[in-house]
Amino acid sequence: MEPIRIDPKRALDEAMRAQQKLAASFKTLREVEDVDYGATDKEAIYTEDKVVVYRYKGKNKPTAKAPLLICYALVNRPYMVDLQDDRSLVKNLLALGEDVYIIDWGYPDGADRWLTLDDYINGYIRRCVDAVAKHAGVKKINLLGICQGGAFSLCFTSLHQEKLQNLITMVTPVDFHTKENMLSHWTRGMDVDLFVDTLGNVPADLMNWCYLTLKPVRLNQQKYVAMLDILDDKVELENFLRMEKWIFDSPDQAGEAFREFIRDFYQGNKLVKGGLEIGGKPVSLKSITIPVLNIFAEQDHLVPPSASRPLGEHIGTKDYTQLAFKGGHIGIYVSGRAQREVPPAIHEWLARRTR
Amino acid sequence: MAKGQDQTRPQNDWQAMSQQYWNAWNDATRKAFGALPEAAANKTPWHEGLEQWSRMFDAGRAQTVQTETVERLLAGARSYFSLLQTLAEKGAHVNADPQAWADAVRESFNFPGADAALLDNPLARALRELAGQGSKGFEQMMEAVQPAMREMHALLDLPAFGYAREHQEHYQRMGKAWLDCQHETNRYNALIARASRRAFEVFEDKLAERGEPGRQIDSARGLYDLWVDAAEDAYAEIALSAEFREVYGALVNAQMRVRQNVQKEVERVATDLGMPTRTEIDSMGKRLHALHRDAKNHAEVLPGLVAEVAALRAEVERMKAAGKPAAPQAARAPKKAAPRKSAKPAARE
Repeated sequence: MEPIRIDPKRALDEAMRAQQKLAASFKTLREVEDVDYGATDKEAIYTEDKVVVYRYKGKNKPTAKAPLLICYALVNRPYMVDLQDDRSLVKNLLALGEDVYIIDWGYPDGADRWLTLDDYINGYIRRCVDAVAKHAGVKKINLLGICQGGAFSLCFTSLHQEKLQNLITMVTPVDFHTKENMLSHWTRGMDVDLFVDTLGNVPADLMNWCYLTLKPVRLNQQKYVAMLDILDDKVELENFLRMEKWIFDSPDQAGEAFREFIRDFYQGNKLVKGGLEIGGKPVSLKSITIPVLNIFAEQDHLVPPSASRPLGEHIGTKDYTQLAFKGGHIGIYVSGRAQREVPPAIHEWLARRTR
Repeated sequence: MAKGQDQTRPQNDWQAMSQQYWNAWNDATRKAFGALPEAAANKTPWHEGLEQWSRMFDAGRAQTVQTETVERLLAGARSYFSLLQTLAEKGAHVNADPQAWADAVRESFNFPGADAALLDNPLARALRELAGQGSKGFEQMMEAVQPAMREMHALLDLPAFGYAREHQEHYQRMGKAWLDCQHETNRYNALIARASRRAFEVFEDKLAERGEPGRQIDSARGLYDLWVDAAEDAYAEIALSAEFREVYGALVNAQMRVRQNVQKEVERVATDLGMPTRTEIDSMGKRLHALHRDAKNHAEVLPGLVAEVAALRAEVERMKAAGKPAAPQAARAPKKAAPRKSAKPAARE
C-alpha cells in the first residue's frame, strides 16, 4: 500500500489555509501587545549584589507551616514558574496555601566574572534561605530547586541541611553521564579552562545556540511552521511570543561558576561518583537525610529522565518520593496538565511532612 | 494518445488550481493589508507567496519587534511551503516507492534561492538558520581574519628570529590556530552532511512503515512532521556518537584558540596605544571579587562578634555590681606582667 495518499485538492486546501493564516497575520502581528510576563504580585524581601529574593502575594493568607523557596537555574530567567495567569506554578501553589518565595539571580556581567559555585551555594543561597526563614519567622524552610537550581539545592542541602525541612527537585540532573544526555556528551570533549579563560562570562546567545542545536530541525523549523496555525489568533500568538521571550531572555553565565559546573558536574559527574567539593567542603548525596521529592519530565530533552531518576539510588534519606510527569522540560511548568498535576502533588507531599 | 492526455491532466489541474490559489491569496492579502503591487507571474507562486508576505513586513509597515518573528517563521516555513509545492507538482507522478518520495522531499528542500552549499543538506541549513549572535559573531570574526591569515600561511613554518621574533611567533600561532579551526569546522560539517544523508534513509524507513493500513499520511503537514522526526532521529544518532563528541570538542577548542589569539593581538595594539586591556580588567576584577567576598564574610561575622562583646561587657558590669573580681581584671594581669617579662632579658644583658 502507498505510504502517502494526499489528494492534490486537499494539499491545495492546506496551502490555502496556511496562506489565509499568513494574510491574517498582517493584522494580528500588528495588534499583539508587547508581551509581558508574571501573573502574580510579589515583593522583594532580600537583595544582595544582583540577587533578589521575592515573596509572592497570594489572594489569601498562606496556610502552610513553612515557606517554600524556589531556587531556579542560572541559565534562564525564573519567571517561567509564573509566566501568565493560566500558566503559573506559583499561582496554583499560592491557591493551595503555600507561602512561595523565589530567588532571582539577575543578569551577571563583568563584575560577576569571578563568582564561584561556593559564592552561589554557600554564599547567596545560604543567605537567601536565612532571609526567607527570618522573614517568615521560622527556623527551617522548604526548598524547591529547578534544573541546575536543583543540582545547587542538592549541594546546599548536603552542606546546610539544618536549615531545611524538606527538599523538592524538579527536572534536576543528578547523573550527568547517562547515554541520552546530549548536552553532557558534547561538553566532555571541551577544554572548559580554555573556554572560560577565553570567553570570560559565557554569552547567553552562545548558550541558546547550543540548546537549539540539541534538536535543530524541531526547535528552529518545525516550531515556526506550527506557528502558522495560530497566526490569526491574537491570544495564542501572544502566548507563543511570551514563551519565545522567555526562551531567549537568558542571562550570561558567570565564568568561574560555569567552569566549575562543567568540570565537576558535566565532565566529572561528581554528584554521583563522589569527590565533589564546594568551597572546600565535601558534598555527598548520602548525607542528605531530610525528605526529598524528585519530579522529572518523561519527554525532557535537556535533562533526560535517566539523568534525574538515579537520585533515589544515591541519596541518604529514607523518605524519598519520585514523580514522573508526562511532558517536557518546559511543559512541566506551562502545560495544562502541569497546572492540574504538579502543584497539588507538591502541596500534598509538603503538607504531610512540614511541621 | 488517450494515455498521453491522462499524463498531462494532473499538471493542467495543478496549474488551474495554483491560479485559483494565487487569486485567492491576492484577495486575502488585499483585504488584510490594503492595495498591493501586482505580483508578476511566477512559476513558483506558493513559494513566492511566502516571500511576498515577508516583503510586506520588510516594507516598514510593521514594527521591528515583529520583524524577528517574521524572519524566524520564514526560515522554518520555507521548507514546509516548498514541500507543499513539490507534493502538488509531483504527487501525481510519484509512485508507492518510499525512495521516490524521499527524493521528492529532498528536492523540495533545494528551493529557489537556497544556498548552493547547503543542497541536499537540510540539517546544515537548520543549523545555519539558528543565527545566534554568539555563533554569528564568531563567523564574522573568522571572515575578518581570513585575508590576513591567508597571507601568513606561507610564514607559519619559518623559524622566527631577530627583534620581532616574538611577534612573528604570535602570528604563526594565530595562523596555525585558524588553519586548525578550519580543519575542525570541515570535520564538523562532514558529520552534519552525514546526518542529513542518514535523515533521508530514516525517512524512507519511516515512510515504509506508513504503508500499513490505517497509518498512511494524508496531509502535507503529516509528511513534513514525519520528515522532522526522521531528521531529528538521524541527527541524534550522529550527535550522540563518540566521533561527534570528539569532533565537537575539537571544534569548540579550536574556535577558542583562534579567539584567544585574536584577543592577544587586540591587547598588543591596545597596550601600544596606552589603553586598558582585558587582562588588566580581569586582574582587577579578580582582586575586587576577593575583597568583596572578604567584606561579606566579615559583615556576616561582625554582628556575632558585636553581640559577643556586648554580652561580655554586660557580664563584666554584672560582676562589678556584685562586687566580685571581674574576669577582665584577670585578663589585665598578663598585660601588667608583660613589661616585667620584657625587662628580664634586658637584665640579663
